[in-house]
Amino acid sequence: MKYAYFPGCSIHASAKEYAMAAKAVNKYLDVELVEIPDWNCCGAIDAVYAYNPLLSVSLAARNLALAQNMKMDIVTLCSACFFTLSRANNLMRENADMKSRVDRAINDAGLKYEGGIKVRHYMDILANDVGFEKIRQQVKMPLKGLKVAPYYGCLIVRPTGIQRFDDPEHPTSMDNVIKALGAEAVNYPDKTSCCGASLVITDEEVMMEMTKHPLLTAKEAQADCIVTPCPMCHFNLEAKQKDIESHFDIELGLPVLYITQLIGLAFGLPPKELGLHRNIVSPNKIFEKLKGQMTQKAS
Amino acid sequence: MKTHSSHNITAQMTDPSFIEEIKKIPGGEKILDCIQCGICAGSCHARFAMDYSPMQILKMAHLGLKQEVLSSSTIWICASCYTCASRCPRGLNIPAIMSGFKNMAMKNNVQAPIALKPKFHKTFTEIIGKYGRMHEPELQMRLLKKTSPGELLHNASLGLRMLRKGKLKLQPSKLDSSTHFSEIYKKASSEEAK
Repeated sequence: MKYAYFPGCSIHASAKEYAMAAKAVNKYLDVELVEIPDWNCCGAIDAVYAYNPLLSVSLAARNLALAQNMKMDIVTLCSACFFTLSRANNLMRENADMKSRVDRAINDAGLKYEGGIKVRHYMDILANDVGFEKIRQQVKMPLKGLKVAPYYGCLIVRPTGIQRFDDPEHPTSMDNVIKALGAEAVNYPDKTSCCGASLVITDEEVMMEMTKHPLLTAKEAQADCIVTPCPMCHFNLEAKQKDIESHFDIELGLPVLYITQLIGLAFGLPPKELGLHRNIVSPNKIFEKLKGQMTQKAS
Repeated sequence: MKTHSSHNITAQMTDPSFIEEIKKIPGGEKILDCIQCGICAGSCHARFAMDYSPMQILKMAHLGLKQEVLSSSTIWICASCYTCASRCPRGLNIPAIMSGFKNMAMKNNVQAPIALKPKFHKTFTEIIGKYGRMHEPELQMRLLKKTSPGELLHNASLGLRMLRKGKLKLQPSKLDSSTHFSEIYKKASSEEAK
């Protein structure tokens, strides 16, 4: 299964390990991601869109046109890019004025977008093209006893006009992947709450208040770790966790993994190949728990 | 938290053309379909930090209270999480309307209650124009308030954490110019300004 792969800016910087782990597990799932050559910023959720909506949609349209040249649907690992490219795709289909203005902007540069390219999230590929059964078959080290809290966040499930593959209120795709890996999917009330996204830059305290909730409720539900399919959520839950702990005077120490990293662990891949050394909140607790599991198995 | 009763609204405060402006926002076409049911206010994850709830903002928009809407903190605090939009029984795309309000506020130079906000949008967009992709360290540097050593230290500590883990890309990515990124950027920027 081959797709036009849109990495997005975070994947090339703070979220490299998400893509490293995706690359490592894709081999076992017959998924091939072919990077869109010379892709640009997806158009950003709101940072560019609120400043200049035409520019945001035109940036997305350039990526869509480049994927169209490859004759493949777009797949992205990032929930924000997934939403932004989907929004542009819909606006060009439903808003004739926007379509003609975007056409003017990209046609002069020698690009043309006919429409018809689907924008899909990697989780959709796992759930529907690969399937949970195929994931289960590749498991070499079942994550038995590991309690995992799936954090879906917002943009993968909720906005109208996205390629919908899960329920916006009670999504289950990541729960099913977690179960396929032999781990326990923890039930907690904040799996579709909002981390605050880019508020981290302009309104840090608001973002910390928002991100505190899933971290606390996952911990209260005795999760050993959280998994996420989004670099923005990961940044706020993971890289900012220490700041949240000191701001609210709470103790968390909750590892946050990308869903691809968790899959890789269950496939028996070396943590280094999955970029787990790049996690800021130490994932050692997970290793210890799994080590115990493995010794039990051996004895 | 503020409230608006019709008692303290005068005709001078209202702008009857506001509703037509909102209908031109992509996603704002259905603004008048709002029935004030309150599901957006009840669902909003960021309500605690807003002066008006999204439901109040929609009512104020109906009334034509342009200045109040565009100077509210609500429009800037909305994180585009889409909880309200996915639950709205009338199918309003509330986050898209909030983005449209931000756009109007920036175009009309309305003072934002969170001073950094308009600068964030402008700087982010300029960096994309420069490289074609985001370059996080430059965004952070350009948005730093130069007056606060505390903030400098705070950011430096996160920066170090990121740097140690190889999560900070110090060199910006550059696009291959053959696919004419900057032409599209310039064209879309000048079209929008018209």
